[in-house]
Amino acid sequence: MPELEVTFTVTVMKSVTLQEVNLNSTLCNYYFFSVNSKFINMIMQDGNKVLSTEIVTQTLEAIKRKQVEKYHKAPAAEREAIECNPYTIFHQALENCKPVIGLANIQKGSRTYQVPIPLTEKRRRFLAMKWIITECRDNKHRRTHMYEKLSQELLSAFANEGNVIKRKHELHKMAEANRAYAHFRWW
Amino acid sequence: MFIFLLIEIFSRSVPQACHTDLHAGQYYTLPTAQLRTLFPHGLPYRFQMQIKTFNEACVMVRQPALELISYLKKADYSRPALRYILYGETGCGKTMSLCHALHFCATQGWMVLHIPDAHLWVKNCRELLPSSSRPGRLDQPLQASLWLKNFKTTNDRFLSKIKTTQRYVWTKRETTEEGRPLGELVDQGVARVKSSSDVVGALLRELRLQAGGAAEGAFRLAVAVDGVNALWGRTTLKKEDKSEVLPEELTLVHNLRKMLRNDWSGGAILTTLSHTGSLYKPRSAYLPMELLGEEGFDTMDPFVPVPVSSYTEKEFESCYLYYMDRHWLQHPHSQTEEGKKELIFLSNRNPSILERLCATL
Repeated sequence: MPELEVTFTVTVMKSVTLQEVNLNSTLCNYYFFSVNSKFINMIMQDGNKVLSTEIVTQTLEAIKRKQVEKYHKAPAAEREAIECNPYTIFHQALENCKPVIGLANIQKGSRTYQVPIPLTEKRRRFLAMKWIITECRDNKHRRTHMYEKLSQELLSAFANEGNVIKRKHELHKMAEANRAYAHFRWW
Repeated sequence: MFIFLLIEIFSRSVPQACHTDLHAGQYYTLPTAQLRTLFPHGLPYRFQMQIKTFNEACVMVRQPALELISYLKKADYSRPALRYILYGETGCGKTMSLCHALHFCATQGWMVLHIPDAHLWVKNCRELLPSSSRPGRLDQPLQASLWLKNFKTTNDRFLSKIKTTQRYVWTKRETTEEGRPLGELVDQGVARVKSSSDVVGALLRELRLQAGGAAEGAFRLAVAVDGVNALWGRTTLKKEDKSEVLPEELTLVHNLRKMLRNDWSGGAILTTLSHTGSLYKPRSAYLPMELLGEEGFDTMDPFVPVPVSSYTEKEFESCYLYYMDRHWLQHPHSQTEEGKKELIFLSNRNPSILERLCATL
């Protein structure tokens, strides 16, 4: 009789895949979910949301593993400084990648000028996520997994290094170089 | 209060052989130096990642492992070898209990013959050679040589003491004479990959004959097979004429089946059923009858079943506190009481599901 009970609960649990479990739990719905879900949608290809959520959860796990490993190997003095929460790292890395100022193509006469313009919060967040994803898709070694590439990129962005930060700085420099055209903006 | 709870989790100072029911639910650390020799291929993949992350290998002392170890302590080794089967639902800790028992055997000075996953021998084989010694059999050189390498790492100190009892002829020019140390046999298999499956068969035969024998080189043999239901199931391998390969036709499986018969004495046979790697079995199957099939069950028949179930409340508490102590639960909500209740509900106290949930938090 006890065997039957056990089988029943197991069947119930097994009918729910791990991806569904993660999405529906309130643990993950806690306020980081809004940022996460945008990122998941941007990684998604051909509408395969299951695959993209899996990639993002694996990324968060990979980040946490690397940080916790570093934490345990570090001497007691440095332990306070090591951030282990993958959600805060993701949040902070995204903040570090957001450009402050952007460029727009404005036509005056026959010439098109690159004019520095302020960006809305939505646009900044979109650009940061887009850069991270394209960087990981294009510029990394072919045989590493996406979650591995993403975790490396996010950790270096958290430390203000890496290719995405470089791209942000280049955009800022271009905007600075084109300051003279700033008055072409009429809004 | 917190310090008191911490002391409860770890039973570091108690030697491994003296674990009793009092220590159930507590963690004990495997020394890192022993890990590489004892378990070159035995531990589950996620546990290996956990060892790397936490910088230590901590195993929870649980009821099934304690039961198995108490049987091993009390068994009479002049009688034929007893067979123990660990069974339970997916992710409940069968492989970990097996590894715990093997660690116990190793600390007692036994020789450990560990096949990490028998399912790997019946599927995904890139090179299937027709056997050189017997017609109608198929060899798997890659799997056999890899296993021999790992066997050598585990049991190096025994290999020089045990001698062969028979002359083995591998090819026209290579033989192993009678009375040579077993280490030579193993080296032969590792070096000449083509005959490695036959070497495995010869090795198993030698160990069977000599386990628990004369007092001089006496050793006890622990045969540990993870996923023993693979030996009696179907395979996904195909011969050149596209007909399916039966498990009996594989040299490795044939010799391993002979090892699992209880016609030798001086050791124990510890096995686990595993649904995860199994082929053509329904997802709800976990009992011995369902996974082993008629043939397997009849062959293994007088065996000692050891059921492995999900964490009890006390074990769950211990696991939760261990993750907190190792800074593994980072999400602020998971560190509250409500978060803990959610974890209990989501994982149903199943160890592997709990581990995967906590990994993303």
